[in-house]
Amino acid sequence: MSVAAVHNEATIVGAEIAGGHDGTAEMVVSIQYENGVTGSVTLDADTGVSVMKACGAADLAALIGRPWREISKGL
Amino acid sequence: MYDILIRGGLVVDGSGAPGHLADVAVKDGRIAAVGANLPGEALQVIEAGGQVVAPGFIDPHTHFDVQLLWDGAARPALEHGITSIVPGNCSLSLAPLKAGDRAGLIGMFQQIEELPPEAFTQAFEWTWEDFAGYRAALEKSLSINVAPLVGHSVIRLWVMGADAQQRAARPDEIVAMQDLLRECLQAGAVGLSTSFVDVDEKARPVPSRFAQFDELDALCAVLGEFGRMLQIVPEFYDTDITIARIDQLAELSLKHGIPTTFSPVFDSHLTPQAAPRQLARVAEQFARGARVWPQMQTRPIDISFSLLRPSLFFARLPTWMRTLRLPLDERMAALKDPATADRLVTDAGPDGGARLMGDLIARGGDAIPPAFAGRTLGEIAAERGEVPARTLITLSVEHGLDVAFLAANRGHDRTDRIGPMLADPLVHIGASDGGAHIASFATYGDTGFLFSEYVRKAGVLTLEAAVKKITSDTAAIWGLKDRGSLTPGYAADIVVFDAATIGRGEERPVFDMPGDGMRYVRDSVGIDTVVVNGEVAWAKGEYSGSASGEICGIA
Amino acid sequence: MPLTPQRRFVTPEPDETVEHLAARALPGEALEGAVERIKGWNLHIFAMRRPRGLLLGSDVVFVEPPQA
Repeated sequence: MSVAAVHNEATIVGAEIAGGHDGTAEMVVSIQYENGVTGSVTLDADTGVSVMKACGAADLAALIGRPWREISKGL
Repeated sequence: MYDILIRGGLVVDGSGAPGHLADVAVKDGRIAAVGANLPGEALQVIEAGGQVVAPGFIDPHTHFDVQLLWDGAARPALEHGITSIVPGNCSLSLAPLKAGDRAGLIGMFQQIEELPPEAFTQAFEWTWEDFAGYRAALEKSLSINVAPLVGHSVIRLWVMGADAQQRAARPDEIVAMQDLLRECLQAGAVGLSTSFVDVDEKARPVPSRFAQFDELDALCAVLGEFGRMLQIVPEFYDTDITIARIDQLAELSLKHGIPTTFSPVFDSHLTPQAAPRQLARVAEQFARGARVWPQMQTRPIDISFSLLRPSLFFARLPTWMRTLRLPLDERMAALKDPATADRLVTDAGPDGGARLMGDLIARGGDAIPPAFAGRTLGEIAAERGEVPARTLITLSVEHGLDVAFLAANRGHDRTDRIGPMLADPLVHIGASDGGAHIASFATYGDTGFLFSEYVRKAGVLTLEAAVKKITSDTAAIWGLKDRGSLTPGYAADIVVFDAATIGRGEERPVFDMPGDGMRYVRDSVGIDTVVVNGEVAWAKGEYSGSASGEICGIA
Repeated sequence: MPLTPQRRFVTPEPDETVEHLAARALPGEALEGAVERIKGWNLHIFAMRRPRGLLLGSDVVFVEPPQA
């Protein structure tokens, strides 16, 4: 059973840093959805920092396993 | 008597056909003849033995709108062999614009171009409101050819005023926008640009983003009357959304018989299916008869940052992220605190950050002495007897944190993946963003990089194919009349370059913007001579001051 | 040649709220759950945009999660 299925909602399963169009570092977040499919969303620098702050993540690894809704409420 | 005779070069004419040794003669701004040992004399002879003679390059995605008003050469684009540019992308152009709306538009332009305020208040005089007036202002001193787009956001602003950034348009307002667009196209606009991502200086979405699809559809109906281009910037950070935009473009292309283009398309090893999925969708839509041209840039993406703002570059380092998220005064105090600095250095890894930070480049153009610019943090650290993480902190603290670092090639950097995509006949090489993001990175030299990386190093494109991609292909996609080919009768836009050395210089800061504003540039490498409409505009490192550029005619 | 199916989306109507859009896009679902699902599928609007959740007429709003 997928992580998202356990939570029955979109859940972060990976996060990496990449160069963005505007030259800033951006966060590429892999999210597993309730249908079991994993998609990627690129968050700009400000949103990426806000996401980490919102869920008290000290680093990228701490984002993994977090249901997206829990994070978005803190944004 | 010819005006110019370019003698003995390898003529690569833009068609993709194999190059051949020949002369190129120019008369009255046009290509007069191409052939071996052309008879006749010329006012000026350019010896091109050992060099390539090609049509001038065309850059289809720039933001030189403002710069062109005091620098008709769009420096340094022209010295890279670019003889025609398309400004007015991403929904923003300088016309049509009522005097009362100038302040608002300046904010939007500053957000994209990063020009200093003096660029708008001291460098030129606003003499126009309508598109024809802007064209007239431009035409006074162009060294480069311009094929200007008109921006959807300014059309909205003209018709709706402040409401353009608040609501959907009423039917009568859409009709007024159609009339205004028609007027702009009649005055020489090469098409319409719109944006689904850009924001103004207050982070508010630009006006075009408040438009319903029926508004865009109505504007495209006008484009259809002229067969002109629709350019968009989609939500390129999300593949599913970009594919939705491709489908919308295809619908508009088929319905109105217009070409469309979107930019940028990036490749990333983190999302390796993103670009291939987009290109696959483009191929499906072309198979239906739609024209949806994806623009892909040649240059890799670099990450730049300073400790003035928290950067996700440090997102794997908990202590660094915690420290950099502090308010500025507390952050500075923390970085000055020896115990905190020690913790940060420890957190950077047992190698003192050598692996993660050693290759960072001190960019210059900021508070550090110029002697540091262009050097790696590893080199500077070794000189100071420190580990790189320590030097990053001390160098930043010593200069008020205003020290910019660059991590090179952190996206769109896999030549083995990108090369075949650039070679795809359905991929439009572009998206340079020339003249934008000027204080963040250099948007010049993409054409040189095409040759140095993808022709010489990787060999995925022949010299002839690469030239075709950025000359005749571009002219055909955009409908630029009599450009992009060394064909008798065509405009004499010519670049003479050394195929063995053409490339791009290192990025460097310069202070040549109005108000001594800083920007990053790259010098050209391997370019010998650039001719625009039959006049030498740049040769052997010098601008001639010619004013032979013009607004491009549309086929 | 038929187009490969892609992720389905709608565009907001003028002045439409997320509640109205969710009810329109996901009929038959409880409103609160429908709104949460729309938000979860559209982070470009509900996480990245400032102000968060502002619906624009030009938006692509997905009405299903990503497809395999």
